[in-house]
Amino acid sequence: MARYGMALDYKSCINCKACEVACKEENGILMGADKHRIWVGNGEIEGQYPLLDITSNAFYPSQCQHCDEAPCEEVCPTHATYYTEDGIVRVDPEKCILCSYCMNACPYDARYVDDRTVTVDKCTFCADTRLARGETTTACQNTCPTKVRIFGDLDDPNSEISEVLRTREHFSLKANLGTKPKLFYLT
Amino acid sequence: MKIGPLNIPIKEDFSIKSLLNFEKTPANMLIAVLTLSFLAMFVVGIATYLIHGHHAYNVTREHPWGLLIAVYIFFVVSSTGFCIVGSLGDVFGFKDYMMISKRAIFGSIVTILAGFAVIAFEIGHPVTMLIYNVLSPGLTSAIWWMGTLYGVYLTFMIIEFYFLLNNDMKKAKIFGLSGLLVGLAAHSNLGSVFGFLNARPISNGVFYPTYFILTAFITGIFLSFIVMGFRYKLDFNAQTKKMLEGLAKIQGLLISILIFFVTWKMLTDIYGGMPNRAEVAEHIFHSWTFWAEVILAMAIPLVVILTTMGKKPVLMFWVSLSGMVGVFFMRYNLVHDTQLKPLQMLKTTEYQLAPEWIHYFPSTTEMFISLGGLGLCIAMYYVGTKVFNLDEEHH
Repeated sequence: MARYGMALDYKSCINCKACEVACKEENGILMGADKHRIWVGNGEIEGQYPLLDITSNAFYPSQCQHCDEAPCEEVCPTHATYYTEDGIVRVDPEKCILCSYCMNACPYDARYVDDRTVTVDKCTFCADTRLARGETTTACQNTCPTKVRIFGDLDDPNSEISEVLRTREHFSLKANLGTKPKLFYLT
Repeated sequence: MKIGPLNIPIKEDFSIKSLLNFEKTPANMLIAVLTLSFLAMFVVGIATYLIHGHHAYNVTREHPWGLLIAVYIFFVVSSTGFCIVGSLGDVFGFKDYMMISKRAIFGSIVTILAGFAVIAFEIGHPVTMLIYNVLSPGLTSAIWWMGTLYGVYLTFMIIEFYFLLNNDMKKAKIFGLSGLLVGLAAHSNLGSVFGFLNARPISNGVFYPTYFILTAFITGIFLSFIVMGFRYKLDFNAQTKKMLEGLAKIQGLLISILIFFVTWKMLTDIYGGMPNRAEVAEHIFHSWTFWAEVILAMAIPLVVILTTMGKKPVLMFWVSLSGMVGVFFMRYNLVHDTQLKPLQMLKTTEYQLAPEWIHYFPSTTEMFISLGGLGLCIAMYYVGTKVFNLDEEHH
């Protein structure tokens, strides 16, 4: 089986938010600022004019990190949150009781409540839509004009993501928490 | 005494009509009106929740746990506290405390039922919870252990109360000890719900699981003063005075330990300098709700106990009432403070400022359901005093 992950060449991000729109469109996410699976974090410019630090004004596209040691999975009282064979962290709405413990436990603020199912929802790497149709890219990746995102199989040594992780330095968010995220930020 | 269904002894004069027979003093009338108002609020709150769901609450993606979680913790802490106090006599054999055992065990049942009534309207799918708690248990989840153990605990408490009513002290002791052990396990698991959160450094660690047991005992003693105060209308006999004096002295010791614990938690949190913990602790230190907790539940009771040597039970009754307000803030702070720090520190929309502290204030619906839980608790306790003989029986 594959073990899916994503690399983000975040310095190429122009904050056009096409990824946010594509995600909502592809996966039928409800409107509303709180209802999002992915987002672009925006660092503020630091310093005082004219001595501005423009490097602080970077854009950090983000979403569920699909951790190998996901705190949300560990705290779920009914196993509604589970790992698929592809290493994707998913929520089974049938089992979710909306105790919101996973929302509190996720260090990345990657979860929200879907008002239709009244259960917790999150990024699925488009497993129910694009991957189910046999496509090999996610909606956010496919729409990105500057090709920030590289999605693929981490266990396949010939995949683009494996290649880029071998050849470029990268970091993970909040790696000190031991969650082993599968989102990698390329430097 | 007459024997009711399932061989349960009930009071001779109990009837539905007898529920309305109480001394019509202004204080009693005020409590009755307040209780009925709280129950009405409960109904309105539930109706609003059933129509609007969680949108009736001020909980958000960033602050998913609100007042109802705090109130649930408040009630289950009260239950564990009652259970510990009740066990002093019938489990550990301290004769002076035997007189409060039955009342305290009944109190533990009533408070946990009130807690369950409140949490049922916070959990999005309580029926699904009952099904999948069994069908697909999440054994790594502190919530699963907490909920399951509390269910077992409630069962033991009810069985213990049954044997206490029947004066079968041997069996009451067996179920009392079992209930106490399971209750302590459940309660420390509730602390670990917060202690396991590695995303929230302010709560992560061993502090809460142990602190919960300590504060449960303190809460149980505050509640003992309150229920005994109502039982004897603040005119205590010598035996009750002796017991309350003992409880006050234990309370003095427990509150001193609590102050020691909280002081060191604050000092290590702030001066330990750990990112996401130090600044949160400093923020908590400057919040009025933290000082409400410190003054009402710690400072005032300790000063009163030390100056009176615990020999003024009437004063302790009033102090215990204010202490319970402090305990409420203790629970509210625990829940709110855990979520103070945003997990996503960057701006996520174009014209938005970077997030600072997460703000939360309960909605009217949340307040109504919470007060409803209190009303339910008082009403169930009152009915219990009418149905059962909660005093110690001598044979």
